[in-house]
Amino acid sequence: MQRRSFIKGFGVVLAASAVVPVTMMAEEAKKAPVQSPNKMNIDSAIKAITGGKALVPSSKIEFKAPEIAENGAVVPVKITVESPMTKDDYVKAIHILAKKNGNVRCTDIFLTPANGTAHFATRIKLGETQDILVIAQMSDGTFLSATQNVKVTIGGCG
Amino acid sequence: MGKVKSLIKIKPNKYNTGDIVKVDFMVMHPMETGMRTDKQTGKLVPADYINEVKFFFNDALITNMSVWETVSTNPVFTINFKVPSEGTLKVVFKDNKGSTNEQSTKIKPKG
Repeated sequence: MQRRSFIKGFGVVLAASAVVPVTMMAEEAKKAPVQSPNKMNIDSAIKAITGGKALVPSSKIEFKAPEIAENGAVVPVKITVESPMTKDDYVKAIHILAKKNGNVRCTDIFLTPANGTAHFATRIKLGETQDILVIAQMSDGTFLSATQNVKVTIGGCG
Repeated sequence: MGKVKSLIKIKPNKYNTGDIVKVDFMVMHPMETGMRTDKQTGKLVPADYINEVKFFFNDALITNMSVWETVSTNPVFTINFKVPSEGTLKVVFKDNKGSTNEQSTKIKPKG
Protein backbone atom coordinates (compact mmCIF):
# COMPACT_ATOMS: atom_id res chain seq x y z
CA MET A 1 0.00 0.00 0.00
CA GLN A 2 2.78 2.37 0.89
CA ARG A 3 4.50 1.85 -2.44
CA ARG A 4 1.27 2.41 -4.30
CA SER A 5 0.54 5.74 -2.59
CA PHE A 6 4.14 6.83 -3.14
CA ILE A 7 3.84 6.23 -6.88
CA LYS A 8 0.55 8.08 -6.97
CA GLY A 9 2.06 11.07 -5.20
CA PHE A 10 5.10 11.04 -7.47
CA GLY A 11 2.84 10.98 -10.49
CA VAL A 12 1.00 14.08 -9.29
CA VAL A 13 4.28 15.94 -8.83
CA LEU A 14 5.42 14.93 -12.32
CA ALA A 15 2.16 16.12 -13.85
CA ALA A 16 2.40 19.43 -11.99
CA SER A 17 5.97 20.01 -13.11
CA ALA A 18 4.91 19.31 -16.70
CA VAL A 19 2.11 21.86 -16.52
CA VAL A 20 4.16 24.72 -15.06
CA PRO A 21 6.53 25.28 -18.02
CA VAL A 22 3.60 25.26 -20.43
CA THR A 23 1.85 28.06 -18.56
CA MET A 24 5.12 29.98 -18.24
CA MET A 25 5.70 29.68 -21.97
CA ALA A 26 2.21 30.96 -22.63
CA GLU A 27 2.88 34.02 -20.50
CA GLU A 28 6.13 34.71 -22.30
CA ALA A 29 4.42 34.38 -25.65
CA LYS A 30 1.94 37.02 -24.53
CA LYS A 31 4.75 39.35 -23.52
CA ALA A 32 7.07 38.81 -26.49
CA PRO A 33 5.63 40.70 -29.47
CA VAL A 34 5.74 44.38 -28.64
CA GLN A 35 3.71 46.17 -31.25
CA SER A 36 4.54 49.51 -32.71
CA PRO A 37 2.15 52.25 -31.49
CA ASN A 38 1.63 53.32 -35.10
CA LYS A 39 1.28 49.81 -36.50
CA MET A 40 0.18 49.77 -40.12
CA ASN A 41 0.52 47.12 -42.81
CA ILE A 42 1.69 47.73 -46.35
CA ASP A 43 -1.67 47.35 -48.13
CA SER A 44 -3.53 49.89 -46.01
CA ALA A 45 -0.57 52.30 -46.18
CA ILE A 46 -0.50 52.17 -49.99
CA LYS A 47 -4.28 52.60 -50.10
CA ALA A 48 -4.07 55.65 -47.81
CA ILE A 49 -1.50 57.24 -50.12
CA THR A 50 -2.89 56.43 -53.57
CA GLY A 51 -6.60 56.21 -52.75
CA GLY A 52 -6.94 53.04 -54.84
CA LYS A 53 -5.06 54.31 -57.91
CA ALA A 54 -2.56 52.03 -59.66
CA LEU A 55 1.18 52.29 -59.03
CA VAL A 56 3.31 52.57 -62.17
CA PRO A 57 6.84 51.17 -61.82
CA SER A 58 9.07 53.79 -63.40
CA SER A 59 12.73 54.35 -64.23
CA LYS A 60 12.23 58.09 -63.55
CA ILE A 61 12.86 57.39 -59.88
CA GLU A 62 16.52 56.92 -59.10
CA PHE A 63 16.54 55.08 -55.79
CA LYS A 64 19.81 54.29 -54.04
CA ALA A 65 20.01 52.01 -51.02
CA PRO A 66 22.69 49.49 -50.03
CA GLU A 67 22.13 45.88 -51.16
CA ILE A 68 23.50 44.58 -47.87
CA ALA A 69 23.11 46.66 -44.71
CA GLU A 70 25.25 45.41 -41.85
CA ASN A 71 23.43 47.51 -39.28
CA GLY A 72 19.66 47.72 -39.67
CA ALA A 73 19.48 50.75 -37.38
CA VAL A 74 21.17 53.00 -39.94
CA VAL A 75 20.30 52.34 -43.59
CA PRO A 76 20.99 55.33 -45.88
CA VAL A 77 18.46 55.92 -48.67
CA LYS A 78 18.72 58.45 -51.51
CA ILE A 79 15.93 59.30 -53.90
CA THR A 80 15.98 61.51 -56.98
CA VAL A 81 12.92 61.85 -59.19
CA GLU A 82 13.35 63.13 -62.73
CA SER A 83 11.11 66.16 -63.10
CA PRO A 84 11.38 69.74 -64.42
CA MET A 85 9.87 71.04 -61.11
CA THR A 86 7.89 73.86 -62.71
CA LYS A 87 4.49 75.08 -61.53
CA ASP A 88 2.66 72.83 -64.00
CA ASP A 89 4.78 69.73 -63.67
CA TYR A 90 6.41 68.83 -60.40
CA VAL A 91 6.71 66.05 -57.85
CA LYS A 92 4.11 66.59 -55.16
CA ALA A 93 5.24 64.00 -52.68
CA ILE A 94 7.69 61.18 -52.07
CA HIS A 95 6.72 58.35 -49.72
CA ILE A 96 9.18 55.80 -48.32
CA LEU A 97 7.72 52.48 -47.11
CA ALA A 98 9.63 49.54 -45.59
CA LYS A 99 7.40 46.52 -46.27
CA LYS A 100 8.11 44.35 -43.20
CA ASN A 101 8.59 46.92 -40.44
CA GLY A 102 5.89 47.10 -37.74
CA ASN A 103 5.02 50.57 -38.97
CA VAL A 104 5.75 50.46 -42.69
CA ARG A 105 5.74 54.25 -43.11
CA CYS A 106 9.12 55.98 -42.81
CA THR A 107 8.75 59.50 -44.17
CA ASP A 108 6.35 61.37 -46.43
CA ILE A 109 7.97 64.39 -48.10
CA PHE A 110 5.76 67.05 -49.65
CA LEU A 111 7.74 69.12 -52.15
CA THR A 112 7.04 72.39 -53.97
CA PRO A 113 8.51 73.89 -57.18
CA ALA A 114 10.85 75.97 -54.95
CA ASN A 115 12.97 72.86 -54.40
CA GLY A 116 14.49 73.02 -57.89
CA THR A 117 14.98 69.27 -58.13
CA ALA A 118 13.12 66.44 -56.44
CA HIS A 119 15.80 64.98 -54.24
CA PHE A 120 15.65 63.52 -50.75
CA ALA A 121 18.04 61.58 -48.53
CA THR A 122 17.85 60.26 -44.99
CA ARG A 123 18.67 57.19 -42.88
CA ILE A 124 16.03 54.68 -41.82
CA LYS A 125 15.70 51.65 -39.52
CA LEU A 126 14.98 48.18 -40.87
CA GLY A 127 13.91 45.28 -38.63
CA GLU A 128 14.80 42.51 -41.08
CA THR A 129 15.68 41.78 -44.71
CA GLN A 130 12.95 43.32 -46.84
CA ASP A 131 11.89 45.38 -49.84
CA ILE A 132 11.78 49.16 -49.63
CA LEU A 133 9.08 50.78 -51.72
CA VAL A 134 9.27 54.38 -52.92
CA ILE A 135 6.13 56.08 -54.22
CA ALA A 136 6.32 59.42 -56.02
CA GLN A 137 3.12 61.40 -56.43
CA MET A 138 3.29 63.65 -59.50
CA SER A 139 1.32 66.87 -59.92
CA ASP A 140 -0.79 65.32 -62.73
CA GLY A 141 -2.16 62.73 -60.30
CA THR A 142 -0.14 59.68 -61.31
CA PHE A 143 1.81 57.54 -58.87
CA LEU A 144 5.24 56.21 -59.82
CA SER A 145 7.03 53.57 -57.79
CA ALA A 146 10.41 51.88 -57.36
CA THR A 147 11.50 49.03 -55.10
CA GLN A 148 14.78 47.64 -53.87
CA ASN A 149 15.59 44.70 -51.66
CA VAL A 150 17.93 45.35 -48.73
CA LYS A 151 19.56 42.47 -46.87
CA VAL A 152 19.93 43.23 -43.18
CA THR A 153 22.53 41.41 -41.06
CA ILE A 154 21.52 42.83 -37.66
CA GLY A 155 17.98 44.15 -37.22
CA GLY A 156 17.57 47.71 -36.03
CA CYS A 157 14.18 47.70 -34.30
CA GLY A 158 13.62 47.16 -30.59
CA MET B 1 11.97 68.79 -22.96
CA GLY B 2 14.69 71.32 -23.29
CA LYS B 3 16.23 72.64 -26.43
CA VAL B 4 17.09 70.05 -29.06
CA LYS B 5 20.44 70.44 -30.79
CA SER B 6 20.14 70.88 -34.52
CA LEU B 7 22.18 72.17 -37.44
CA ILE B 8 21.59 73.33 -41.03
CA LYS B 9 24.35 72.90 -43.60
CA ILE B 10 24.27 74.37 -47.10
CA LYS B 11 26.43 72.72 -49.76
CA PRO B 12 28.40 74.01 -51.61
CA ASN B 13 29.71 76.99 -49.59
CA LYS B 14 29.61 79.46 -52.47
CA TYR B 15 26.56 79.78 -54.70
CA ASN B 16 24.82 82.28 -56.97
CA THR B 17 21.16 83.27 -57.23
CA GLY B 18 19.32 80.58 -59.18
CA ASP B 19 21.71 77.79 -58.22
CA ILE B 20 20.38 74.58 -56.76
CA VAL B 21 21.99 73.90 -53.38
CA LYS B 22 21.84 70.92 -51.05
CA VAL B 23 20.35 71.57 -47.61
CA ASP B 24 21.33 69.12 -44.85
CA PHE B 25 19.27 69.36 -41.69
CA MET B 26 20.63 67.36 -38.72
CA VAL B 27 18.98 66.87 -35.32
CA MET B 28 20.28 65.24 -32.17
CA HIS B 29 17.27 63.14 -31.24
CA PRO B 30 16.88 59.62 -29.73
CA MET B 31 14.00 58.63 -32.06
CA GLU B 32 12.70 55.96 -29.64
CA THR B 33 10.30 53.52 -31.29
CA GLY B 34 8.39 52.60 -28.13
CA MET B 35 9.29 48.94 -28.75
CA ARG B 36 12.67 48.80 -27.00
CA THR B 37 12.98 47.53 -23.40
CA ASP B 38 15.33 49.15 -20.91
CA LYS B 39 17.77 46.39 -19.87
CA GLN B 40 18.16 47.71 -16.31
CA THR B 41 14.51 48.20 -15.36
CA GLY B 42 12.92 45.74 -17.81
CA LYS B 43 10.29 48.30 -18.79
CA LEU B 44 9.43 49.59 -22.24
CA VAL B 45 11.03 52.89 -23.19
CA PRO B 46 8.19 55.23 -24.25
CA ALA B 47 8.08 56.38 -27.86
CA ASP B 48 9.82 59.68 -28.55
CA TYR B 49 10.31 60.71 -32.14
CA ILE B 50 10.13 63.68 -34.49
CA ASN B 51 6.87 63.60 -36.43
CA GLU B 52 6.94 66.80 -38.44
CA VAL B 53 9.67 68.84 -40.17
CA LYS B 54 8.92 72.00 -42.14
CA PHE B 55 11.33 74.05 -44.24
CA PHE B 56 10.53 77.75 -44.76
CA PHE B 57 12.28 80.40 -46.87
CA ASN B 58 11.26 83.93 -45.85
CA ASP B 59 8.14 82.39 -44.24
CA ALA B 60 7.07 80.63 -47.46
CA LEU B 61 6.77 76.86 -47.12
CA ILE B 62 9.25 74.94 -49.27
CA THR B 63 9.02 71.40 -48.00
CA ASN B 64 6.85 69.64 -45.46
CA MET B 65 7.68 66.19 -44.09
CA SER B 66 5.77 63.80 -41.89
CA VAL B 67 8.22 61.54 -40.14
CA TRP B 68 7.68 58.26 -38.24
CA GLU B 69 9.70 56.41 -35.63
CA THR B 70 11.26 54.21 -38.34
CA VAL B 71 13.79 56.96 -39.12
CA SER B 72 17.23 56.43 -37.55
CA THR B 73 18.54 57.99 -34.34
CA ASN B 74 20.02 61.49 -34.84
CA PRO B 75 18.35 61.86 -38.24
CA VAL B 76 19.64 63.80 -41.24
CA PHE B 77 17.17 65.11 -43.81
CA THR B 78 18.60 66.26 -47.12
CA ILE B 79 16.64 68.26 -49.68
CA ASN B 80 17.52 70.45 -52.64
CA PHE B 81 16.68 74.12 -52.81
CA LYS B 82 16.79 76.65 -55.65
CA VAL B 83 18.12 79.95 -54.28
CA PRO B 84 15.76 82.76 -55.40
CA SER B 85 17.31 85.66 -53.46
CA GLU B 86 18.85 86.61 -50.14
CA GLY B 87 16.91 85.61 -47.07
CA THR B 88 16.61 83.22 -44.16
CA LEU B 89 15.99 79.52 -44.28
CA LYS B 90 14.05 78.32 -41.26
CA VAL B 91 13.32 74.76 -40.16
CA VAL B 92 10.54 74.07 -37.66
CA PHE B 93 10.30 70.57 -36.21
CA LYS B 94 7.90 68.98 -33.75
CA ASP B 95 8.02 65.71 -31.84
CA ASN B 96 5.24 63.37 -30.70
CA LYS B 97 5.37 64.79 -27.17
CA GLY B 98 4.26 68.14 -28.51
CA SER B 99 7.42 70.23 -28.16
CA THR B 100 8.36 72.51 -31.06
CA ASN B 101 11.87 73.67 -31.92
CA GLU B 102 13.30 75.70 -34.74
CA GLN B 103 16.62 76.46 -36.37
CA SER B 104 17.47 79.02 -39.01
CA THR B 105 20.33 80.10 -41.22
CA LYS B 106 21.02 83.04 -43.56
CA ILE B 107 21.07 82.50 -47.30
CA LYS B 108 23.62 84.79 -48.95
CA PRO B 109 24.16 84.21 -52.66
CA LYS B 110 27.66 84.92 -54.01
CA GLY B 111 29.20 84.68 -50.55
